[in-house]
Amino acid sequence: MFDLVFWLPVMAGGALAGASSGLLGTFIVGMRIPFLGICVAHAALAGAVFGSLCGLEGPTVVLAALSGAVLAALVLGLLDPQRTQLDDNVVLSSLFSATMGLAFLGIGLHDRLGRSDNDVRGILWGSLSFCRWRDVRLMLIVGGALLAYVVVFFKELRAILFSRSDAAAAGIRVTIIWTGLLILVAVVLAVNLQTVGGLMIYSLISNPAAAAFQLVRGCRRAMWLSAVFGAASGLGGFLISAATDLPSGPVIVLVSSALLAFATIHRRYAAKPI
Amino acid sequence: MSARAVEIEKLIVHAARRCVLDVDELQISAGEITAIMGLNGAGKTTLLRTCLGLATPTRGVVHVLDRNVPQLHGGSLAQFRRRVGYVPQLLPARSELPLTVREVVAIGRTGRVGLFHPFKKADWRIVDEWIERLGLTLLSDRVFGEISGGEQRKTILARAMAQEPELLLLDEPTANLDLGWRERIVATIQQLHAQTAITILLICHELEVLPSICHHVVLLDQGRILVCGAPEEVFTTERVAAVYGAGLHVTHEGGRHAVVPGGSIHV
Repeated sequence: MFDLVFWLPVMAGGALAGASSGLLGTFIVGMRIPFLGICVAHAALAGAVFGSLCGLEGPTVVLAALSGAVLAALVLGLLDPQRTQLDDNVVLSSLFSATMGLAFLGIGLHDRLGRSDNDVRGILWGSLSFCRWRDVRLMLIVGGALLAYVVVFFKELRAILFSRSDAAAAGIRVTIIWTGLLILVAVVLAVNLQTVGGLMIYSLISNPAAAAFQLVRGCRRAMWLSAVFGAASGLGGFLISAATDLPSGPVIVLVSSALLAFATIHRRYAAKPI
Repeated sequence: MSARAVEIEKLIVHAARRCVLDVDELQISAGEITAIMGLNGAGKTTLLRTCLGLATPTRGVVHVLDRNVPQLHGGSLAQFRRRVGYVPQLLPARSELPLTVREVVAIGRTGRVGLFHPFKKADWRIVDEWIERLGLTLLSDRVFGEISGGEQRKTILARAMAQEPELLLLDEPTANLDLGWRERIVATIQQLHAQTAITILLICHELEVLPSICHHVVLLDQGRILVCGAPEEVFTTERVAAVYGAGLHVTHEGGRHAVVPGGSIHV
């Protein structure tokens, strides 16, 4: 028997993680930096590992993960590509390998010291089935902050999405707006990570946005449709997994991939963008 | 505004530990069209980027629209840049982006409107006005990545003009365009200048791109100004041969200029 009271926060968590990741995906996919999600996720993991090594436990490990992710976001935001002469993806891949190295070093130290790494594994793989209203509230708060940021700075974000260097040349305060968005990326991903895990986050960032780009014209429409696709993937994937008794994570990933495949085929054969 | 839009003195710019620009003195009067020409790697784009504060000089004075650009940072630099329209050489090539032509033109207005302020009707009126003036009305709802290269150039030009700039910097505005589009862009630049009397600093490689109303040409060679003056004075057959190689012949006809390999032009 499907216990709605138990599963309602799980469904809300899946939908919220999908919506916020989908919204972020518009910018991450649009700027062709999908590595950002995986890079920030590993920075969060490194933060959690070292937080756990320092004796943090339970929900406080999330704070350590958050610190790691925000630190990585600050490094990315404050690096000026004009000065470093490095492509965003080169910076991201370097930071990704460094944070992954740190995370695995910490996991090795865990083993050597004989400490439990259950909290760390929770951050790495997530556990949607254990999502409770407390987690949903936190996801709602950070999702709301992201939404408010996107609404307030929509016109600047649209300019940055088109070209960061062109936006700077046109007198837009790119460093401030971009760093602010990166910090929100870090916070949203760190919070969603413990609920839905790294693999799902990556698919919920990339697939809904890529699908929305296939179907609509205009930045605002693409943003909202991406958030809707993300929520539909999270919720729909969970419902399908519950009905078929399959693991929820992979089903959510496959639903989001199916949405992208449908959008691509629809664009190719059926219609022009709306 | 002073009679000089750009005043440069003893400017040195290094890139990758190499001196790429060494300009002793350059003055550009307000309301004029000035073309910057020279071989690849002569420092043309660096000069334009320095004027906009996108390249940092090692030393020297760069006064643009009465502001000493190298001394501007943060908010004051952003405020200065809002007064300068810039059309870069390379267009963003993310074809999957769903931004429409109207949205791209609106980017030019974004800095002017300012943080925390939404677009007002007047801002959209200016955006639509430039879309119309550059003949993009039928394309305004099309996705930027789906229109032709020439139409994209016009869109970026409309974006720069929607900024209502006092100075327009154009970095090879006709790069990679066919003859028809090249002429349309040149005509558009001439029309813009006739309508607004805006100061235009234009980088180009081909003499044919120079508008007939181009007032001055600055010829750069290895980061230094070789000569500066009216197009007819700068582009003599002897000088073109010295800079670009022997066997080239320059003709001037109706205010336009062309280079042909030897002999005379046959129309």
